[in-house]
Amino acid sequence: MPSEENKERIIRVVEFGRVVLHYGWIPFIIYVGYTRSNPQPSLIKLVSPLA
Amino acid sequence: MASTSSSSPFASVASPLTNVYDRFSRWRSALGLSNPGTVENLTKEVKSTHLTNFFFDGARADLAKNLSVLPLFQVTHSFSLASQTAPPTYNFGAVFANNSVLLTGNVDSEGNVNGRFNHGWTATSVTKVQAQLSQQAGHNMIHLEHDYQGSDYSVNFKALNPSPTDFGGMYFASYLQSVTKNLAIGFESLHHRASGMTDTSTSYLAKYTGSNKDWIATAQLQPSGALQATYWQKLGDKVEAAADLHLVNAPQRRDAVATLGLKYDLRMSTFRAQLDSTGKVSALLEQRFAPTFAFLVSGEIDHFKNAARVGMGVMIESGSMSPEEMGMQPPPQPPV
Repeated sequence: MPSEENKERIIRVVEFGRVVLHYGWIPFIIYVGYTRSNPQPSLIKLVSPLA
Repeated sequence: MASTSSSSPFASVASPLTNVYDRFSRWRSALGLSNPGTVENLTKEVKSTHLTNFFFDGARADLAKNLSVLPLFQVTHSFSLASQTAPPTYNFGAVFANNSVLLTGNVDSEGNVNGRFNHGWTATSVTKVQAQLSQQAGHNMIHLEHDYQGSDYSVNFKALNPSPTDFGGMYFASYLQSVTKNLAIGFESLHHRASGMTDTSTSYLAKYTGSNKDWIATAQLQPSGALQATYWQKLGDKVEAAADLHLVNAPQRRDAVATLGLKYDLRMSTFRAQLDSTGKVSALLEQRFAPTFAFLVSGEIDHFKNAARVGMGVMIESGSMSPEEMGMQPPPQPPV
């Protein structure tokens, strides 16, 4: 069993990872899709529902 | 085989065991059993025939944009409003998939993010991570899963909200084994740990597939006294029927719900109709006017409560490529 201090640290790391995932997941998919797509789409097509 | 056993002392000691194992695995492959499918997909055919998972009410619009086919990259904008049960929402989704990786993400107008990451190590071994991230505390969820499909069995391990400090959370293990060409039996165990308390329960599963794979019967018995039995039959090329019986026989509650559903897959449309023992009759029509434009109408009448719900929706797909170009490239088969 980890000590109290380590537990606190683990919880902080998990919470930080959760926040990163919350704000970064969708941009990450869009980045991966945008760079790997063939042919590469234009940015306006990516975000606007109408274009 | 003979040369290796004489060269290594370990191999000569182990040779009776390996011989037995070899003979066992040869006998097993001689039975010619096929993979029974995963426990998660036990009632997949029934779920895709019934319209419970497809029903919506109010107005809905889905705009999907295919930006690339190989690898698959798609963004969707979904709008829904005027539903009796859910508040109006806007949802943005992104999907990226190639043959070994599937990434999906969804964010709604309240800032809740749903994400999924699947990685296929081989065609039969897939690791899945699913997360639900919310602004509110207590609504977060993480789901780690590994799926392995052998020649005649399937194994799955799942962890729901595992805590790295005290190993709390929910852990699932399931195993499904083909016993004959038609019958598969298995179990699913749940181990729940929370603040020093642990609890384990096991449910039992059985699946019988018709010889022509045109009908499937399943049963699932849970320790709490719940029994779910389903039956699915392909009635023709375009028609499928499914029945589902849910029995609860617990000391506090005795309850049973039966559902009967029918699905027609026509050339340009899909029609689902469903009737259940709580007095609900519902139907859903998905009509495709063009390959990129679909129109949906749904309706439900609850005869016992004297209530009705209707829904209407459009699905528009647009892509950077013409349909001919898209048809030429086969889409990737992501691990799901």
